[in-house]
Amino acid sequence: MPDPNKPLPDFSDVQGGSSSTAPQPPQPQERTYTVQKGDSLSKIAKAFYGKANKWKVIYEANKDSIKNPDLIYPGQVFRIPQV
Amino acid sequence: MHNHSLHRAAAAVLVLSVLAACKKTAPPPAQAPITVASVDLGRQIGPDNRVVQSMTTFGVNDTIYASVATTGTASSAVLTAKWTYQTGQTVDSTTMTIAPTGPAQTEFHIMKPTPWPVGGYVLAIWLDGQSVGQKAFEVK
Repeated sequence: MPDPNKPLPDFSDVQGGSSSTAPQPPQPQERTYTVQKGDSLSKIAKAFYGKANKWKVIYEANKDSIKNPDLIYPGQVFRIPQV
Repeated sequence: MHNHSLHRAAAAVLVLSVLAACKKTAPPPAQAPITVASVDLGRQIGPDNRVVQSMTTFGVNDTIYASVATTGTASSAVLTAKWTYQTGQTVDSTTMTIAPTGPAQTEFHIMKPTPWPVGGYVLAIWLDGQSVGQKAFEVK
Protein backbone atom coordinates (compact mmCIF):
# COMPACT_ATOMS: atom_id res chain seq x y z
CA MET A 1 0.00 0.00 0.00
CA PRO A 2 1.62 3.30 -1.05
CA ASP A 3 2.19 5.85 1.66
CA PRO A 4 -0.08 8.86 0.88
CA ASN A 5 2.39 11.19 2.60
CA LYS A 6 5.28 10.12 0.42
CA PRO A 7 5.95 12.30 -2.64
CA LEU A 8 5.10 10.65 -5.94
CA PRO A 9 8.05 9.20 -7.81
CA ASP A 10 9.32 10.97 -10.87
CA PHE A 11 9.01 9.11 -14.18
CA SER A 12 9.79 12.07 -16.41
CA ASP A 13 13.12 10.62 -17.49
CA VAL A 14 11.68 7.28 -18.63
CA GLN A 15 12.45 6.44 -22.23
CA GLY A 16 10.17 4.06 -24.05
CA GLY A 17 10.43 2.42 -27.43
CA SER A 18 9.16 -0.37 -29.62
CA SER A 19 9.88 -2.47 -32.68
CA SER A 20 8.14 -5.28 -34.46
CA THR A 21 8.83 -8.20 -36.74
CA ALA A 22 5.61 -7.27 -38.54
CA PRO A 23 5.81 -4.85 -41.44
CA GLN A 24 4.46 -1.37 -40.98
CA PRO A 25 1.55 -0.18 -43.07
CA PRO A 26 2.59 1.86 -46.08
CA GLN A 27 2.49 5.58 -45.53
CA PRO A 28 0.01 7.32 -47.77
CA GLN A 29 1.89 9.20 -50.42
CA GLU A 30 1.26 12.89 -50.58
CA ARG A 31 0.36 14.15 -54.00
CA THR A 32 1.31 17.46 -55.50
CA TYR A 33 -0.39 19.63 -58.06
CA THR A 34 1.00 22.41 -60.24
CA VAL A 35 -1.43 25.28 -60.57
CA GLN A 36 -2.66 25.97 -64.10
CA LYS A 37 -4.11 29.16 -65.51
CA GLY A 38 -7.73 29.55 -64.40
CA ASP A 39 -7.36 27.36 -61.31
CA SER A 40 -8.72 28.21 -57.91
CA LEU A 41 -8.39 26.34 -54.64
CA SER A 42 -12.05 25.32 -54.93
CA LYS A 43 -11.50 23.99 -58.43
CA ILE A 44 -8.47 21.97 -57.34
CA ALA A 45 -10.36 20.67 -54.30
CA LYS A 46 -13.25 19.61 -56.54
CA ALA A 47 -10.81 17.79 -58.85
CA PHE A 48 -9.01 15.91 -56.07
CA TYR A 49 -11.66 15.47 -53.39
CA GLY A 50 -14.86 15.75 -55.37
CA LYS A 51 -15.94 18.67 -53.19
CA ALA A 52 -15.08 22.30 -53.79
CA ASN A 53 -15.63 23.14 -50.13
CA LYS A 54 -12.54 21.09 -49.21
CA TRP A 55 -10.36 23.93 -50.50
CA LYS A 56 -9.34 24.75 -46.94
CA VAL A 57 -7.52 21.39 -46.67
CA ILE A 58 -5.26 22.44 -49.52
CA TYR A 59 -4.96 25.94 -48.14
CA GLU A 60 -3.92 24.70 -44.68
CA ALA A 61 -1.35 22.35 -46.18
CA ASN A 62 0.18 25.12 -48.28
CA LYS A 63 -0.14 28.16 -46.06
CA ASP A 64 3.55 28.82 -46.44
CA SER A 65 3.09 29.54 -50.14
CA ILE A 66 -0.47 30.94 -50.21
CA LYS A 67 -0.81 34.44 -48.81
CA ASN A 68 -4.36 34.94 -50.00
CA PRO A 69 -6.50 31.88 -50.76
CA ASP A 70 -8.24 33.83 -53.51
CA LEU A 71 -4.96 34.47 -55.26
CA ILE A 72 -3.00 31.53 -56.54
CA TYR A 73 -0.65 31.60 -59.48
CA PRO A 74 0.16 29.26 -62.37
CA GLY A 75 3.30 27.30 -61.65
CA GLN A 76 2.78 27.12 -57.89
CA VAL A 77 3.14 23.55 -56.63
CA PHE A 78 0.72 22.60 -53.87
CA ARG A 79 0.75 19.60 -51.58
CA ILE A 80 -2.56 17.72 -51.76
CA PRO A 81 -3.04 15.89 -48.47
CA GLN A 82 -5.06 12.70 -48.10
CA VAL A 83 -8.45 13.31 -46.50
CA MET B 1 -23.33 -56.43 -76.63
CA HIS B 2 -21.15 -54.00 -78.43
CA ASN B 3 -23.89 -51.40 -78.03
CA HIS B 4 -23.97 -52.00 -74.26
CA SER B 5 -20.25 -51.26 -73.93
CA LEU B 6 -20.67 -48.07 -75.88
CA HIS B 7 -23.57 -46.99 -73.69
CA ARG B 8 -21.60 -47.72 -70.54
CA ALA B 9 -18.58 -45.77 -71.79
CA ALA B 10 -20.80 -42.86 -72.77
CA ALA B 11 -22.50 -42.93 -69.36
CA ALA B 12 -19.14 -42.97 -67.60
CA VAL B 13 -17.94 -39.99 -69.63
CA LEU B 14 -21.18 -38.16 -68.83
CA VAL B 15 -20.86 -38.86 -65.10
CA LEU B 16 -17.23 -37.71 -65.08
CA SER B 17 -18.17 -34.56 -66.99
CA VAL B 18 -20.94 -33.74 -64.53
CA LEU B 19 -18.63 -34.36 -61.58
CA ALA B 20 -15.96 -32.14 -63.10
CA ALA B 21 -18.51 -29.40 -63.67
CA CYS B 22 -19.68 -29.66 -60.07
CA LYS B 23 -16.17 -29.40 -58.65
CA LYS B 24 -15.86 -25.90 -57.27
CA THR B 25 -12.66 -23.95 -56.99
CA ALA B 26 -11.62 -23.92 -53.36
CA PRO B 27 -12.05 -20.45 -51.90
CA PRO B 28 -8.85 -18.77 -50.70
CA PRO B 29 -8.21 -19.47 -47.03
CA ALA B 30 -9.88 -16.91 -44.82
CA GLN B 31 -7.39 -14.56 -43.22
CA ALA B 32 -7.79 -14.53 -39.47
CA PRO B 33 -7.94 -11.08 -37.92
CA ILE B 34 -5.09 -10.07 -35.67
CA THR B 35 -5.26 -11.16 -32.04
CA VAL B 36 -2.81 -10.95 -29.18
CA ALA B 37 -1.63 -14.44 -28.28
CA SER B 38 0.70 -13.70 -25.37
CA VAL B 39 2.57 -11.01 -23.49
CA ASP B 40 5.91 -11.76 -21.84
CA LEU B 41 8.22 -9.59 -19.82
CA GLY B 42 11.97 -9.89 -19.59
CA ARG B 43 15.31 -8.13 -19.26
CA GLN B 44 16.52 -9.01 -22.73
CA ILE B 45 15.06 -9.75 -26.11
CA GLY B 46 16.49 -11.75 -28.96
CA PRO B 47 16.65 -10.79 -32.63
CA ASP B 48 13.20 -12.35 -33.04
CA ASN B 49 11.80 -9.82 -30.53
CA ARG B 50 11.02 -12.58 -28.01
CA VAL B 51 12.17 -12.15 -24.43
CA VAL B 52 15.13 -14.37 -23.66
CA GLN B 53 13.79 -15.30 -20.24
CA SER B 54 10.29 -14.50 -19.04
CA MET B 55 10.18 -12.85 -15.60
CA THR B 56 8.06 -10.59 -13.43
CA THR B 57 10.65 -9.24 -11.00
CA PHE B 58 13.22 -6.68 -12.06
CA GLY B 59 16.10 -4.74 -10.60
CA VAL B 60 16.10 -0.98 -10.22
CA ASN B 61 18.55 -0.51 -13.10
CA ASP B 62 16.98 -2.93 -15.57
CA THR B 63 15.60 -2.12 -18.97
CA ILE B 64 12.22 -3.83 -19.03
CA TYR B 65 11.07 -5.47 -22.23
CA ALA B 66 7.60 -6.69 -23.13
CA SER B 67 7.21 -9.02 -26.07
CA VAL B 68 3.72 -9.14 -27.52
CA ALA B 69 2.98 -12.11 -29.75
CA THR B 70 0.21 -11.65 -32.28
CA THR B 71 -1.39 -13.99 -34.75
CA GLY B 72 -3.52 -13.18 -37.75
CA THR B 73 -3.31 -10.41 -40.25
CA ALA B 74 -4.26 -6.75 -40.47
CA SER B 75 -3.67 -4.03 -43.00
CA SER B 76 -3.15 -1.69 -40.06
CA ALA B 77 -3.38 -2.46 -36.36
CA VAL B 78 -2.44 -0.23 -33.47
CA LEU B 79 -0.75 -1.84 -30.48
CA THR B 80 -0.31 0.27 -27.37
CA ALA B 81 1.74 -0.57 -24.29
CA LYS B 82 0.81 1.46 -21.24
CA TRP B 83 3.06 1.07 -18.22
CA THR B 84 1.75 2.26 -14.85
CA TYR B 85 3.14 2.40 -11.32
CA GLN B 86 1.31 1.22 -8.22
CA THR B 87 0.23 4.81 -7.49
CA GLY B 88 -1.64 4.87 -10.80
CA GLN B 89 0.94 7.15 -12.38
CA THR B 90 1.62 6.54 -16.04
CA VAL B 91 5.24 5.53 -16.45
CA ASP B 92 5.17 5.42 -20.25
CA SER B 93 2.79 4.82 -23.11
CA THR B 94 4.06 3.72 -26.51
CA THR B 95 2.04 3.00 -29.63
CA MET B 96 3.12 0.96 -32.63
CA THR B 97 1.20 0.55 -35.87
CA ILE B 98 1.79 -2.75 -37.63
CA ALA B 99 0.51 -4.55 -40.71
CA PRO B 100 1.14 -8.21 -39.88
CA THR B 101 0.76 -10.84 -42.57
CA GLY B 102 1.00 -13.67 -40.03
CA PRO B 103 2.41 -14.38 -36.59
CA ALA B 104 4.52 -11.48 -35.33
CA GLN B 105 6.42 -10.33 -32.26
CA THR B 106 6.26 -6.71 -31.22
CA GLU B 107 8.47 -5.52 -28.40
CA PHE B 108 8.00 -2.54 -26.14
CA HIS B 109 10.61 -1.44 -23.67
CA ILE B 110 11.15 1.13 -20.99
CA MET B 111 14.42 2.31 -19.53
CA LYS B 112 15.29 4.88 -16.93
CA PRO B 113 18.69 6.53 -16.47
CA THR B 114 17.96 6.86 -12.75
CA PRO B 115 16.86 3.85 -10.67
CA TRP B 116 13.29 2.65 -10.96
CA PRO B 117 11.19 3.29 -7.87
CA VAL B 118 10.70 -0.04 -6.15
CA GLY B 119 7.16 -1.37 -6.04
CA GLY B 120 4.47 -2.81 -8.22
CA TYR B 121 3.89 -1.96 -11.87
CA VAL B 122 1.37 -3.02 -14.48
CA LEU B 123 1.78 -3.24 -18.21
CA ALA B 124 -1.49 -3.02 -20.15
CA ILE B 125 -1.62 -3.94 -23.82
CA TRP B 126 -4.25 -2.45 -26.10
CA LEU B 127 -5.07 -3.51 -29.62
CA ASP B 128 -6.99 -1.01 -31.74
CA GLY B 129 -8.31 0.69 -28.63
CA GLN B 130 -9.39 -2.52 -26.89
CA SER B 131 -7.64 -3.79 -23.78
CA VAL B 132 -6.30 -7.24 -24.62
CA GLY B 133 -4.23 -8.11 -21.60
CA GLN B 134 -2.07 -6.97 -18.78
CA LYS B 135 0.95 -8.13 -16.84
CA ALA B 136 1.90 -7.15 -13.32
CA PHE B 137 5.53 -6.99 -12.33
CA GLU B 138 7.64 -5.80 -9.49
CA VAL B 139 10.82 -3.79 -9.16
CA LYS B 140 12.94 -4.73 -6.13
